[in-house]
Amino acid sequence: MQLNGVDIDDTFAEAFNMRGTRILITAQNLRWAYNAANAMTGFATSVIGCGVEAGIERELSEDETPDGRPGVSVLMFAMGSKVLMQQLETRMGQCILTCPTAAAFAGIESEEMISLGKHLRFFGDGYQVSKQIPDATGKLKRYWRIPVMDGEFLTEETTGMVRAIGGGNFLVLGASQAQVLTACEAAIDAMRKLPNVIMPFPGGVVRSGSKVGSKYPKMFASTNDAFCPTLKGVVKSELDPRVESVMEIVVNGLTFEDIAVSMKAGIEAACSLGKDNGILRVSAGNYGGKLGQHHFKLRPILSGEVTA
Amino acid sequence: MSHIILTAKPVSRTVDCRALLPLALQGKTVADISAIKLAANLSVSDAFEVSVDAGVETPKVTFKNTTSSHHYIGFGMTAGQLIVEGDAGDFLGAQLQNGVLICKGNASARAGDRMRRGMLLIEGNAGDYCGSDMMAGTLGVLGSTGTHLGYGMKRGTLLLAQAPAPQATWIDCGFHKLPFLNILYKSFKLLDSRFAQISSQRVQRWMGDMGGLGKGEILVIQS
Repeated sequence: MQLNGVDIDDTFAEAFNMRGTRILITAQNLRWAYNAANAMTGFATSVIGCGVEAGIERELSEDETPDGRPGVSVLMFAMGSKVLMQQLETRMGQCILTCPTAAAFAGIESEEMISLGKHLRFFGDGYQVSKQIPDATGKLKRYWRIPVMDGEFLTEETTGMVRAIGGGNFLVLGASQAQVLTACEAAIDAMRKLPNVIMPFPGGVVRSGSKVGSKYPKMFASTNDAFCPTLKGVVKSELDPRVESVMEIVVNGLTFEDIAVSMKAGIEAACSLGKDNGILRVSAGNYGGKLGQHHFKLRPILSGEVTA
Repeated sequence: MSHIILTAKPVSRTVDCRALLPLALQGKTVADISAIKLAANLSVSDAFEVSVDAGVETPKVTFKNTTSSHHYIGFGMTAGQLIVEGDAGDFLGAQLQNGVLICKGNASARAGDRMRRGMLLIEGNAGDYCGSDMMAGTLGVLGSTGTHLGYGMKRGTLLLAQAPAPQATWIDCGFHKLPFLNILYKSFKLLDSRFAQISSQRVQRWMGDMGGLGKGEILVIQS
């Protein structure tokens, strides 16, 4: 299968069950909403070292936020509910509470609600104020007003936690580093327009794909040598002589369909640069299909088949 | 759910309305409601014309033509919406547990007394001891307030459109722009009330009653 002259491998991305949540962050203006959201989603590229994988989903207009101020929505994913709860509380305390004018609200409804400001309220040292206010549907929601030096920090008590999927991915293989990066930027631009997904790595792109295991006994994972262009000829390489650079886009989402749709948009955008611009091949990362619960097969996805 | 409309008849005595709550009257017929005893020698049919409309989303009661003789309207209410199209007597919304109570006219003494949750919105004036011993919730008054406002108030919010008289046990915390008010005002906009027209987030904040727990607040809306 080819797309604009780019070979599409007959392979699949292997993804895992995760727990996810969405938080709406508002502030006096978008600058400060982004300051808060960037801090909250900083150092959240991979669960391996960061506990959670998080990213900004999209901007929110004044009409879309509970307090009528501009904001952004953030998605956060973890391998388990306990880690997600811990990380959310820590990041709320260090990144949102501290950010001038920022407020945080639930961005998703679920039967499982986890603490957003429920414990953070104690920062108020007894001066915190609870308000229960009905939303547009008449459902009562509890907010906490915590006195801080810039006025009041406002946060909803809880947000929903849902089952989600992490680790959807595809690899862009090209003739040069610059060309692959350009293709990945186009892919990320396309994927960021879609709801319910985030690409947690820096700028949405990761260059250090890994394989399971290492020659060093203490390492659980190490560089994906089969896709390292400088090791062609030394290891059992997946790369042909034309490939000088490989980059990966990892995508986490709320459902299988969300990830499949975003992968399709991303691959199509990357391939739109075509073979003439040095984009040679699209592949995907997997572990032989034995570890992950979800398989995103590239060719069916590009054909519009997105069923699990 | 039903919308029960109680139109007050002229009576030469006070009327205790505490039995006439939205949830308590759900599923009852006009005859059932008319037969409810409000006092030993006073039933609903003596004090009100009763009509019932089915098919509303939340339990609702509307009082019409009420006066300051109608006491305990919304006393201990736990859910739904209660509208008073007239004045209300003492203890309007006292011990309110939840739901929304809107009074289009004036309220007499001790409106919101020991209120625990929910919203009590008075479009007219409130009498003495408004919000007395209030434990939580939101009590709004667009008109004037009487003496001893928030007497013994523990927690909760008194949202006022007019500045009250200064009181020794309430501390002025200054002027502020509070973001949560936007959320509160959004909920007001869903109501058929003059409160839906409020938009200013700038308020003067007072804390009290320092004679007790002192974690209540009076927010005076600034134009």
